[in-house]
Amino acid sequence: MSAVETLIEELKIKIIDVLDLPDVTPADMDRDARLIGGPAGIDSIDVLEMVMMIEKEYGIRIDNQELGREVFATLGTLAEYIHQNRPEPAR
Amino acid sequence: MREAPVFIAGMGIVSPLGRGLAQTLAALENNTTGISGLTLFTPPADRRLPVGEVRSVSGPADLPRTHRLARMAADEAMAGGTAAPDAVVVGTTTGGMGKTETLLRKKAARPNLLTHHGTGTVAEDIAARFGCTGPALTVSTACSSGAAAVKLALEMIRSGRARRVLAGGADSLCRLTYYGFNALQLLDPDGARPLDESRRGMSLAEGAAMLLLAAEPGPSPVAAVLGGGLSCDAWHPAAPHPEGRGARAAMRAALADAGIAPGRVDYVSLHGTGTPDNDLSEARALHALFGRRLPPLSSIKGATGHGLAAAGAIETAVAALCVRHGLVPGNPGCRRPDPRLGLSPLKRPRRQPVGCVLSNSFGFGGNNAALVISGPDAAPAASAPSHRRLYVVGSACLTAAGDTAGTLQALAAGGGCAGRAVPAAALEAVPARRRRRLGRFPALALALALGAREDAGDSGPPAGVFLGTAWGALSETGRFLDELFESGEKFASPTAFVGSVHNAAAGQVALLMDARGPNVTTSGGDGSFEQALLAAACLAPGRGEPVLVAGVDEHHETLSPLFDPSVAHGENAADGGGALYLSAAARPGAPAVAPVFIGAGRGNPAVIAAMIRALGGPERIRARCGALMVGIPAAHRAAGRRQLDEFREGCGLTAPVIDYRRWTGEFGAASAVAAALAVRFIRRGGLPAPLCGGTALELGGRSILVLGLGATVTALEIGGP
Repeated sequence: MSAVETLIEELKIKIIDVLDLPDVTPADMDRDARLIGGPAGIDSIDVLEMVMMIEKEYGIRIDNQELGREVFATLGTLAEYIHQNRPEPAR
Repeated sequence: MREAPVFIAGMGIVSPLGRGLAQTLAALENNTTGISGLTLFTPPADRRLPVGEVRSVSGPADLPRTHRLARMAADEAMAGGTAAPDAVVVGTTTGGMGKTETLLRKKAARPNLLTHHGTGTVAEDIAARFGCTGPALTVSTACSSGAAAVKLALEMIRSGRARRVLAGGADSLCRLTYYGFNALQLLDPDGARPLDESRRGMSLAEGAAMLLLAAEPGPSPVAAVLGGGLSCDAWHPAAPHPEGRGARAAMRAALADAGIAPGRVDYVSLHGTGTPDNDLSEARALHALFGRRLPPLSSIKGATGHGLAAAGAIETAVAALCVRHGLVPGNPGCRRPDPRLGLSPLKRPRRQPVGCVLSNSFGFGGNNAALVISGPDAAPAASAPSHRRLYVVGSACLTAAGDTAGTLQALAAGGGCAGRAVPAAALEAVPARRRRRLGRFPALALALALGAREDAGDSGPPAGVFLGTAWGALSETGRFLDELFESGEKFASPTAFVGSVHNAAAGQVALLMDARGPNVTTSGGDGSFEQALLAAACLAPGRGEPVLVAGVDEHHETLSPLFDPSVAHGENAADGGGALYLSAAARPGAPAVAPVFIGAGRGNPAVIAAMIRALGGPERIRARCGALMVGIPAAHRAAGRRQLDEFREGCGLTAPVIDYRRWTGEFGAASAVAAALAVRFIRRGGLPAPLCGGTALELGGRSILVLGLGATVTALEIGGP
């Protein structure tokens, strides 16, 4: 599994948890499906809740709405963005 | 319908533009802005945003900042040295939160330091300051609170309930709102630029404005309030309806209430916060209402910032200044108007005669308010005041014993119903996706709303939602502040913030039921439900469609004992509430309900005599009243007992007394449980034996008086001949 794929699986679990999505399992979430307004019922407030989670977990701030719209288009775009902007882990 | 105007006999403002009317006017004439750096507290370096802060706030240091701002504005409004107002109505969302959060942050919060936490304490403080012993009401509909408070005051005067009402709004900057709005990405890092192409949000601000509204013009009236309109988007907890559906409805209702056509409006004072969504939806609403004949318009929030509950009151006072001085303010911050809006705001202030101003205020929960302000001489003939009667067509309660049926069963069996209420069963009807983000407070409110509607045999939307709560959404508030402080003020949950506002529950009820009429949340300690009932009596559409009135409070392990002195005294955690479905049209078997009295119980030795008068005097009370359901909060037991004795002796009443907090437990909305049960007792014609000292009581067509005693004294009459 590539780093981005691993990240996608990790994000699915974190998103379901932080948004308390009812009746949604990681298997229901598709990498290329529309994230907002899609089948999981994620809305604009959820996006901002994910913004907080991503800053907490990955140290990346997505602090304006235009950027947010691009990044949160799909799980795939989100994982790519995190992958590219992630600070190097300290070794 | 054309109603008589209500005069603005005096007013006061404090805002980032300065202190007092003269400084405010000068700032508006010069198009200056009051937005700058935050000094009140210090956020982490990457979270510092421009705000509208009031630079010197007077008043005692131990009094929360919102109260002090309200006092500054009220002192100016009452500077004419006039007699005490009959009532005070204050719109506020923060109340004592600024002080509370500072203490919570230092882990130094103690009940005796938090006596002014409640949003209702601002109105109580103002009432006490000016010797007002009548109703001290609090409207908490987020950013429309100040305007909604003015509308409520207007209707109190029109209906003859009061002759002079001191009304307005106040809010102070605090961490809860600052980090909350920031988490929603609604704050512009470059300062608010309403209507500008590159706008990115609002600037959070603080301030207060108070207006002395009066039925008579008095010696030097400033202006008149011609009308007001309220609506609810019933669309989203925080975002406005994209087409401005609710905004348009509120404006239309305000114009109809004022009896004027859109063409009579000389200036529209926009809500114009500077958030991309608000300005767009407001613009669409304006186009829909005014078509091609848009009046001059602007938003002053690039100058004042957004003072939340204060904003609507500040802008009402500014509208009065515009009418008086022939001024149309500019739109500071807007350099290139956003072409998508299709609006041309005035970039610079302009001197021109202004006859009529339409002032908009919109808020979370889709709560919209619009007011029409004119010169004092635009006075049509006075219409006769009338009290509308309301009939209870449905009722429900939630307690630890379950729903209404469960509660009645427990009481009939001689038990109590104190403890934590369980909303689960009623909520099964709500889709899981809608339930997902519901905290305990909105869940209780939704369950009650559904229960009351079902009992009424209705399925359509109510024409209005009126919800009273002493403490609001404590779970969300607690979670938001815990997370904020644990993270060193780095992380703030947008979901918790949206859920923490007092009107979040009423907004959820409106969403679920598609209730697009007035949506008002009131708050005033143990009399919060009674305030909601009074608001409904004043604001319910008179066409007979039912409205929902509810009282709800949730218990929170750490916050309830800190905030509610009766909970601190109590042994067991309790919560829940009650709801009534009310109609202005009589139905067979539907008892009448009247919010007869709300008055100050503290420092007001004449309160019981005043209540007896309001109920029609001893003879009438003896003839009508079959039972007294009395709520004496634990923190005020001694005073409440004395008040009860005085009442019974004062009217020679021998009807049985049911001390209902003994079985509901201690929580703000306990009186809503009592009212909902009283309706059922009236329908059944009597009360079960265990409540009446062992012998079942036949009411014989008589009424039940539901009294609240202690710091606030209230009386409702349910049923009767």
